Amino acid sequence: MSRFKVHKSSADRSAGDKARHKKKIEKAIKDGIHNIVSEESIIGHDGKKKIKIPVKGIKEYQFVYGTNGSKTGQKKVGTSKDAQKGQVLKRGQKKQGSGQKPGDKAGEEFYEVEIDLDEMAGYLFDDLNLPDFEKKKLKQMVTEKTKRSGYRKKGIQSRLSKKKTMLQRLKRKKAAIKNNTFDDSTDERFPFHQNDMRYKHIKTTKKESDSAVVFFVMDVSGSMSKAKKYIARSFFFLLYHFLRHKYRKIEIKFVSHTTEAQLTDEDKFFNRGSSGGTYLSSGTDKVLELCKNEYHPDSWNIFTFHCSDGDNWETDNQKYIESIQELERVSQMYGLIEIASGDSDAYYQPEYNISSKVEHLESKVIKIIKIASKDDIWKGFQKMFGGL
Amino acid sequence: MDWKIEDLEYWDKKIRKIAKEKYDLDWFPIDYEVCDYYEMIGHMSYSGLPTHYGHWSFGKSFERTHQFYNLGMTGLPYELIINSNPSIAYLMRENPLYLQILIMAHCVGHSDFFKNNSEFKNTRPDDVIFRFNSAKKRIQSYIEDPTIGIDKVEEVIDSCHAIQYQIDRTNKERLTNEDKINNLKNVKDVNIFKVPIEPDYDIMGFLLEHGSHLEPWVQDVIDIVRDQAYYFMPQIKTKVINEGFACWVHFNIMNDLNLPDELHIPFLKSHNQVVCPIVDKVNPYHLGFHIFNKIYKKHGLKECKFVRSNMNDISAIRQFIDEEDLKELGLFTYSKKKDVESVDNVSDDFEWQEVKDSLILNTGVNNIPIIYVDELLDNNTLILKHEHDGRDIDLLHAEEVRNHIEDIWGFDVKIFTMIEDSTWEI
Repeated sequence: MSRFKVHKSSADRSAGDKARHKKKIEKAIKDGIHNIVSEESIIGHDGKKKIKIPVKGIKEYQFVYGTNGSKTGQKKVGTSKDAQKGQVLKRGQKKQGSGQKPGDKAGEEFYEVEIDLDEMAGYLFDDLNLPDFEKKKLKQMVTEKTKRSGYRKKGIQSRLSKKKTMLQRLKRKKAAIKNNTFDDSTDERFPFHQNDMRYKHIKTTKKESDSAVVFFVMDVSGSMSKAKKYIARSFFFLLYHFLRHKYRKIEIKFVSHTTEAQLTDEDKFFNRGSSGGTYLSSGTDKVLELCKNEYHPDSWNIFTFHCSDGDNWETDNQKYIESIQELERVSQMYGLIEIASGDSDAYYQPEYNISSKVEHLESKVIKIIKIASKDDIWKGFQKMFGGL
Repeated sequence: MDWKIEDLEYWDKKIRKIAKEKYDLDWFPIDYEVCDYYEMIGHMSYSGLPTHYGHWSFGKSFERTHQFYNLGMTGLPYELIINSNPSIAYLMRENPLYLQILIMAHCVGHSDFFKNNSEFKNTRPDDVIFRFNSAKKRIQSYIEDPTIGIDKVEEVIDSCHAIQYQIDRTNKERLTNEDKINNLKNVKDVNIFKVPIEPDYDIMGFLLEHGSHLEPWVQDVIDIVRDQAYYFMPQIKTKVINEGFACWVHFNIMNDLNLPDELHIPFLKSHNQVVCPIVDKVNPYHLGFHIFNKIYKKHGLKECKFVRSNMNDISAIRQFIDEEDLKELGLFTYSKKKDVESVDNVSDDFEWQEVKDSLILNTGVNNIPIIYVDELLDNNTLILKHEHDGRDIDLLHAEEVRNHIEDIWGFDVKIFTMIEDSTWEI
């Protein structure tokens, strides 16, 4: 005897297990995301840009047969009457839509997760912090914000809302017609009245926020090759999103320098060509100068990040050291990011690079990291902000 | 929806009459549950069991199936029936009537197979629902226990899942080491101090027998996963002939039903989709249907039922697939060379035997490497060995599995296999 039941439960029985699985995937994203932060495609986009990242499926291991990397696989069985000995098997579009390399590692599962940069920043930066951000007094900056807020009967002429005023008059007119106090069919005027006037109302709000300025300083001398600049760009890009994610109100200033420094804008900062020698001090001096004139250390938290290939003119070293010691006194952080990839002199002669000259200055304020390739970017980043 | 429950009842009655009177089938009563595709995927993730312990891997399974479904990659009509008494089967609301009739006839075949095939004799279908329900509750209680918690429970389940099919493949009752010593006492040249005295293929069983140092809840979790593995193992061993038998049953019953054309023609189309050959693999429906058709034609109904009662995939293929069948089915072997896959042997006069050998090696349980417990050393180090049959195991996976076993066992675990004719330790 068979029985028939119509299933009516709306509860999703696998909801709990799906949630656990999702957690694992999220962890995988978090663990693997630094591999994609240095990918070209995401650099230079704003927070709403969606990026697709492949996330390796959470694997369940069992004993399986395998070739362990040997080029010849084990024999499998297929079904086709037309098969000829030696014939190459063409499989159609298999495993569509998952975007991995086709068929190489059988059973390798990938999920493609689409997130925007803001979410990515969440995954990346939640455990990292700018140092000593709360230490200083006078660190609150008050900003005034204005916001439209309804309508009022009194106001200045320039804020008169013609539309609302007209509506009021119309209302009054209709009411008058209804009450037979005004006859619409005659030529009689129905003028505006003081009570019809409506003015836009504007409210000001005061907002307190952390006052901090971050200087992005980049060495754009001739020795900064394209590859190195790419690393610097990636680092600053990460930094930019990190700051944007963590701190709402923060000012970012871009300084590029060779032997002379100049304040520049974001676009030029990342895209400007380069030539010439290097005085690292020119960059830091520029920061000090700006601090003196616009961002006084008494009321601003000051952070400076300086990317260079570590190739400084010998004569400038002493000046540079003095300069960063001054920065140490007035600011919250000075980070030197030395990009020493295989094509720089500093890489082969570490005794000449600047980091070895200033290593002894490392402190709570002065941080030095070295980045050799794009794989180090995230590690360096973590070292600078995580190990505090 | 072109049908009502009454339609299903009407056709079910006819199906049962034919199955009983013409084919003398003997199956469990079947409870059909009508559900939508989303619930269907939910049930599929848990192998159809109405209750099952929770684990993230079932969530993963759901997501994958759902993804495939949305991409239109799984076009087959779903049939899902579980080995229980009564059998529980699911009918998808979205399916048209002819498909429901086909699936019901198919389910009768499966249920009959579950009830009669000797591989299933220890699966205890009467209380399987109860057992899984109780397992679910116990695991839930460990998860809720503040001294244990979900992370620990998950870790143990992860580890057990890694070795879940490393169980004994014969249907014999497990013997303890002591039983085995008693059996072997009179045989000379046996070192009775070696533990285990004979290779033990039931790794989880061995861990339980010798794992008095394991916490009770861990032992219970191992026991739960082991019980589940023994419940599912017969289905792995009989995938081809189980599906083949069910297809043969539905095909015959559907023809005997004298369906009107508007049901019969789409049925034929669906049936052909189900049993069609697939280029890069062996479709168990295709092969199994062929086997039973052949037996029915050559030897009659009685032999069909003998095979459904007494054989598994490997014995059935050995006995019933010969040169002619291989040619008719168009089976061939292929392998990857560098970056391309190419055909090695085709089923012709010279190489059909090789194709058959490969077919057997690639069937069901033969796809799972055999790993056994070789020895438990005095310092509790567990020595496992891989029974090498010419095929290497994937070392990366093996290492991960080894770590999993160590996680449960708490002592060193070593696995020995062969790579290029020499011993390899993992």
